[in-house]
Amino acid sequence: MVDSKHQWKAWLYLSPAIVLLLIFTVWPIINTVRIAFMEGYNALGVLTGQQFNIGIGNFVNVLKYGDFLTCLKNTMLLTVLTVPLSTILALLIAVALNSIKPLQKFLQTIFFLPYVTNSIAIGMVFAAMFNIIGLSPDGARAESWGIINNVIMFFGGEPVNWINAQSSYEANIAVMTIYIIWNALPFKILILLGGLQSINKQYYDAARVDGTPRWRVLTKITVPLLSPMLAYVIITGFIGGFKEYSSIVGIFGEKMGPVGDAGSLNTMVGYIYEVLPDMNYGDASAAALILFGIILVVTMINLQVSKKRVHF
Amino acid sequence: MAKKKDSIVMHEQDLQQVSAQQRVMRVLVKSFTYLFLGVMALIVLFPFYWMIISSLKSLDEYRFNVPTLWPQKIIWANYAKAFDTADLGQLFMNTAYVGIVSTLLSLVITVLSAFAFARLEFKGKDMMFGALLATMMIPGELFTITNYATVNDFGWMKSFTVLIVPFLVSVFYIYLLRQNFLQIPNELYLAAKVDGCGDLKYLWKVMVPLAMPTLISITILKMMGAWNSYVWPRLVANDDAHRLITNGLRNAFTTTTGDVDYPVQMAAVAIVSAPLFLVFLFLRKYIMQGVSRSGIKG
Amino acid sequence: MKKIVAILLLVTMLLGIGMMSGCNKQNNVLASDFVIPEGGYDGSAVTINFYHTMGEPLRAVLDAFIVEFNKLYPNITVVHEQVGGYEDVRDQIKTELTVGNQPNIAYCYPDHVALYNVAKAVVTLDDLIASDITITRNDGTTETLGLTDAQKADFIEGYYNEGKEFGDGKMYTLPFSKSTEVLYYNKTFFTENNLQVPKTWDELEKVCEQIKKIDPTSIPLGYDSESNWFITMCEQLGTDYTSATGEHYLFDNAENKAFVKRFREWYQKEYVTTQEIYGAYTSGLFTATTGQRSYMSIGSSAGAKHQRPQANDKGEYPFEVGITTIPQVDANNPKVISQGPSVCIFKDSNPQEVIASWLFVKFLTTNVNFQAAFSDASGYVPVLKSVADHPTYKEKMEKADGYDNIAYLSAKICMEQANAYYTSPAFNGSADARDEVGTLIQAAFTKDDGGNLDALIDQIFQEAINNCKK
Repeated sequence: MVDSKHQWKAWLYLSPAIVLLLIFTVWPIINTVRIAFMEGYNALGVLTGQQFNIGIGNFVNVLKYGDFLTCLKNTMLLTVLTVPLSTILALLIAVALNSIKPLQKFLQTIFFLPYVTNSIAIGMVFAAMFNIIGLSPDGARAESWGIINNVIMFFGGEPVNWINAQSSYEANIAVMTIYIIWNALPFKILILLGGLQSINKQYYDAARVDGTPRWRVLTKITVPLLSPMLAYVIITGFIGGFKEYSSIVGIFGEKMGPVGDAGSLNTMVGYIYEVLPDMNYGDASAAALILFGIILVVTMINLQVSKKRVHF
Repeated sequence: MAKKKDSIVMHEQDLQQVSAQQRVMRVLVKSFTYLFLGVMALIVLFPFYWMIISSLKSLDEYRFNVPTLWPQKIIWANYAKAFDTADLGQLFMNTAYVGIVSTLLSLVITVLSAFAFARLEFKGKDMMFGALLATMMIPGELFTITNYATVNDFGWMKSFTVLIVPFLVSVFYIYLLRQNFLQIPNELYLAAKVDGCGDLKYLWKVMVPLAMPTLISITILKMMGAWNSYVWPRLVANDDAHRLITNGLRNAFTTTTGDVDYPVQMAAVAIVSAPLFLVFLFLRKYIMQGVSRSGIKG
Repeated sequence: MKKIVAILLLVTMLLGIGMMSGCNKQNNVLASDFVIPEGGYDGSAVTINFYHTMGEPLRAVLDAFIVEFNKLYPNITVVHEQVGGYEDVRDQIKTELTVGNQPNIAYCYPDHVALYNVAKAVVTLDDLIASDITITRNDGTTETLGLTDAQKADFIEGYYNEGKEFGDGKMYTLPFSKSTEVLYYNKTFFTENNLQVPKTWDELEKVCEQIKKIDPTSIPLGYDSESNWFITMCEQLGTDYTSATGEHYLFDNAENKAFVKRFREWYQKEYVTTQEIYGAYTSGLFTATTGQRSYMSIGSSAGAKHQRPQANDKGEYPFEVGITTIPQVDANNPKVISQGPSVCIFKDSNPQEVIASWLFVKFLTTNVNFQAAFSDASGYVPVLKSVADHPTYKEKMEKADGYDNIAYLSAKICMEQANAYYTSPAFNGSADARDEVGTLIQAAFTKDDGGNLDALIDQIFQEAINNCKK
């Protein structure tokens, strides 16, 4: 039953958000759609009165682009790898942080530090940790193997060419997965920690009286009660994952791949960024709409699943 | 009788054994928890450490072919350089103003919208919410040109308005808060209705305190936004009266040849982050306080 | 399911609205060519905006000369702003152009100008340069609006010609301050081991061989920029690279493949490495005093201070750095790349702003005092030949050495090779070609040839061409 008194109230509460969204989000989206169907649209060309044909040429351009499938594959792979892993890790850290007494404040503070660490610094440190300096052309010698390889070699392992010239795709993806998880972790911990605080302590008190084992408390009480926040973290994680771009630039630079193999790690948004500096908004908008379609489908699936699983 | 007494003694011994086992288990679990948190802490700490040591290196040392883990010679002058090149006081005031105003307004809008989506029933709610989520799926960079034209038409160039208003609504935060509101039992709302408590009063007295940890998280993220944004501010309000801190400091670490002086950049970032970090330390208390102390029984 | 349908419906709706609201944003100021107003500058009060990338010490130099300029033209207010790096300037202006908020003057690289010209936004300078209108300045003296023959002749030719590399023969930019690549070498090591400083690529190969015998763990040469290497080789050999008109991308040819193959061999023998391939700054490799090092380094003339090793507490350097022209195909006909900012002027609804901008640009680029002071502060090369005779500049050049005054040494070498500068054609996409040939070198050096080198090289060239065209 929809109460008519609530109707206008709901829209009243939503009105500031709707007005601002209409101006600063919906209008640009309309423009994006319009431009996507104007073949070869250039935001500077239009100033001189250049005319553009209406058609699907931009979409054809994007789909025809040889590396489009590479971009799609990289995007999917990274999303599927990083979203579950980072969510589980963040959940474990948040629960652990919540469960300890001594050093709790100190450790919590440390997990806030990534927020005040500049993203450029994070990219730099990562590159430095995996970077091999002065690898000889035959791959046998190097001036410095990097911190990660030093650790591997300390335990008797073989050094791995992670990100330098001639490195394997698998190694590149491994580094990107670790980097993206690392990047996503602080935000997810913050959200989940906030969510944990909203769970009524009485549930835990009851569990303690019953002597319920810890892992059962986690799976039967914490996770279900935290499920709205988990759903949020996962769904926004997927949306963010499909828009992955800057993390790859952080490690591999704007060439989006290791030295000598440019573009091998390019993503969907990476494609959009490639054409933006030239103001070719036609191609960029078409690519964005294709990306939009993919994310939309994935999000719909996510929402359907979460509707069944999320416990409110 | 004797038999019964025996069994009671037996039982007590059992209990003692069990609790001894439990104690060992508890110690094991505790030490594992600390080990896990310790290792993760080291991992998240490393970039921060790197930022600080990089900010104290000379540019020459930064360019060494094998990076050093500790500066050979500590160059405090990098901080002086970052301080000198910009009117830090003005930049700080501008950024704090934009950060605080946009956070407050954004919180009001987010709370109202999330409440509508979480507690109120209205026609087209699901569609509206779906459409809202859909707006998150288009890369925001495509909006820049259109929004630039819009604020230009509004005559908002070089004002605080242009730095605050376009980004007040974040679907990201509305969604987050809606999830949090949905966690709060519906019975509370219905009970409040029966007591004749109005929506807004209920929202303010019950929902907001219960969702405080999430609201603080949103505050932190929003403030970070003001501190770190530079592409849009540079485009629309890069004059002395409105310049934000990141843009102001960028000029400090661009060398004469147009390259980036990384050590000075890192020093600048550290300076910018310091006040922010203090605010976090202060707010952390509220995040961790949680429901238990907010005086509401579920 | 209902939701999906609803959203798709919404999207279709938006699409419909979008199609209808297609508006024409044509900008009349940009669509028409700039015409010099009769009488030139009429003395009216105008404010001109200048976007650049100058750091604090350079802004101070600029401010001092704005004061000088205002003594001649008190009604022209110059507002200048460091927007960030070169790409930040480009991104800011291209967005501002869409609503007509562009500045009057900007630091530019040729490919930026090609981009602005998609909107026909840049003023062609030919009419202004040729103008013989006489303008009376505030101090009673006069000047010709255009450039005099003496002024034109004073520009270093290679720098001046960059302004005309846009395929239509018209002049769009004036050089502001320049840099190039130079060869840095470890003079102490070369003297101790009686090595010849290479003038040609053949000599370079020989020196590398000798160095490898002396220090087998070294990589004799570090090259900063793969792109510059490829483009400079094309220029030195006279082979095709790109064209501003017709088919743009011409670098896929047998001659270019030959030199790429030769350099690949050098890389395999560890004669040479590049910044990206090595994984660290080549200047760091050159200035290293322990572990692996190089004895020669080709890098920007403006970065001379990075190529100097760290001095000890007494201010003594571990070795002396020598600087010379980069190796050539033909040492008698040297070619070195011209880099660094030029300036362009944007169209404006008020022609007086354009004229005022031109007067200011002309003031800076033809003023020997400014060019000398700016070069001194920046490490960039002045664009005027006569700066070499400027008393304070001359004094500094005499102090040039491979230690404390290494920046002067670099500037001196750049001035001495004034006839060697070249620029490559500029068009919308020329920056892509530049990036692609850099990637090409990286791939050609490092990829496994699987026994068929020619097939690999063919494939890498083909990929580079495809990427340029997409």
